[in-house]
Amino acid sequence: MLNDLQLNSILEDFDIAYWKINLLNKEVSWSEHFDTLVGKPEFSESHFEYFLKEILHQDYRYDFRLYFDKLTEENEAFCIELKLKLSNGKYRWFECRNLKNRENNKEIAVLLFVNIHQSKRDQYTIEENFFYYRETAQMTNTGGWYIDTQNKNIYWDNVTKKIIDCPLDYQPPYEEHFRFYAPEEHPVVISAFEKCEKYGIPFKVELKMRNLYNKDFWVRATGKPVYNEDQDIIGIRGVFQDINEQKVNELNLQNSLDIIATQNSRLFNFAHIVSHHLRSHSSNLCLIVELLKEAKTDKDKIELIPNVADISENLDSAINELNEIVNKQSVLRKERRIISFEKALSGVMASTSSLINRENAKIVAEFHALKEISYIPEYLESILLNLITNAIKYKHPGRKPVIYIQTYIKNETPFLEVSDNGLGIDLDQYGDKMFGMYKTFHENLDSRGIGLFITKNQVETLGGSISVTSTVDVGTTFKINF
Amino acid sequence: MGQKVELACIIDDDKIYVNLVKKIIEIKKLSENLLIFKNGMEALNHFKLILENATEETLPDIIFLDINMPIMDGWEFLNEFIKIKNNFEKKITLYMVSSSIDPRDLERAKSFNLVTDYLIKPIELKKFEKIFDRNSNAAA
Repeated sequence: MLNDLQLNSILEDFDIAYWKINLLNKEVSWSEHFDTLVGKPEFSESHFEYFLKEILHQDYRYDFRLYFDKLTEENEAFCIELKLKLSNGKYRWFECRNLKNRENNKEIAVLLFVNIHQSKRDQYTIEENFFYYRETAQMTNTGGWYIDTQNKNIYWDNVTKKIIDCPLDYQPPYEEHFRFYAPEEHPVVISAFEKCEKYGIPFKVELKMRNLYNKDFWVRATGKPVYNEDQDIIGIRGVFQDINEQKVNELNLQNSLDIIATQNSRLFNFAHIVSHHLRSHSSNLCLIVELLKEAKTDKDKIELIPNVADISENLDSAINELNEIVNKQSVLRKERRIISFEKALSGVMASTSSLINRENAKIVAEFHALKEISYIPEYLESILLNLITNAIKYKHPGRKPVIYIQTYIKNETPFLEVSDNGLGIDLDQYGDKMFGMYKTFHENLDSRGIGLFITKNQVETLGGSISVTSTVDVGTTFKINF
Repeated sequence: MGQKVELACIIDDDKIYVNLVKKIIEIKKLSENLLIFKNGMEALNHFKLILENATEETLPDIIFLDINMPIMDGWEFLNEFIKIKNNFEKKITLYMVSSSIDPRDLERAKSFNLVTDYLIKPIELKKFEKIFDRNSNAAA
């Protein structure tokens, strides 16, 4: 058997310190190891009081005193975990338990202090990590998954199941797991999984998944191969992060950005066009001033005066045109209303009756397929007015103008078509310029080149588009998709 | 002063501007004759006629080409002009003239080799004189 000395040295090796308690007078004596761990008390103090006051962490004082009293008075065994302040001033975890009293010794009890700091800390770390993992997974909507390619099984954790919107006891089908991806993503997903399974290439992709109820949503998915001891790939492990909200916001943002960019470039063009248009008049004025300076006789000077009159007239009408454009653009503040095509057309026809009568134009309207539309009434009238006056302005000299106006719905989209039997235009040559500002293509005195520019702007402002088809000498058709 | 330019050509739809330039050329006696077209198409058709020897008229020494015009604008005219310019027997100096200060127009004009310069309206009298002077000397 081991003697006390050997026993002491073994206990010390295992970092176990102990107390001997005299049950008769409750006197406590410390093992050497305990002394070195926490430091000796002052001479006068009792070990027990010193321990409670200086060594034991205050959280355990009450409990420890209780247990100690029970042990000494009723010989009741106990075991608690507590924190002790070591001689270096730091607290460490110890397990404190009394040694079983085999010989029924009524005089002496032994209290063991086992250092459990490392395992306590490991346990804490694990708990802590698990906490962070769980919180992160929930906060970021990130779920884990594992595909066992050997046994053909799929495992989803609870967050993944929540993302897929399936019950917690749902068992994903191995053969059909591609149904959980939007069809358009299948080529990407299949290739990613194949490459990972065959060659161990990890993947990280953003893709559209499809939940149990066939609703599509965006995820970020990562996958990495899992190897067995022989370095064979036996499965794929990864996470899904539900990024639908962010992705949808991102797409919306991109969309707004595109709209703003187009509007911005349109404004930029507009500014340049305006500047150009106004500058052409002001530069003429400059020229006149120079000529006036050069003019030697009064007669020469007077000859220049009519030019000044012309310029001021042109400048005035240019500014009026720009005003008109700006005014039409600012109708934006007005709201959409349900407006009947019939009513809009009759308004336009009333205001252009003199032109229509003079040119003997015939207007045929077919609105039975689509009688009304939710639109800004001023826009609709302006669009009809521009297209009708255009058709009459550019009529074919050999025949009376006929304008055919039709509305219909195709693929759930409302359409308006305005066709004429007029001059027509070579679209190969002018197609892309048709709707530009100050672009005119016929030698017509009242061509100002702003009508179609305004029409296109109005249509696009309300989210539609306008296109044109035309044959020279046959006629032109404008098609508006609202 | 050197010799006058024989024939200058203005392609521009702004009647007032054309009138004023005409006056300048008369007063300053910058060119013997002046050709005026109100868009690119008219000018192009005229040049084609000359190339086909369908007319006795001659090609201009110098062209002032506006950008914004109906029917055929300055850019379109340039693209067509490039195709036929190798058939000309003499050198034609071409200036783009516009009231546009859009840098994109300037860049675009520079991209054409046959454009000697891009002039922004209004063009000062002195500038006109200089341009004509330079080209008459070259022609002489």
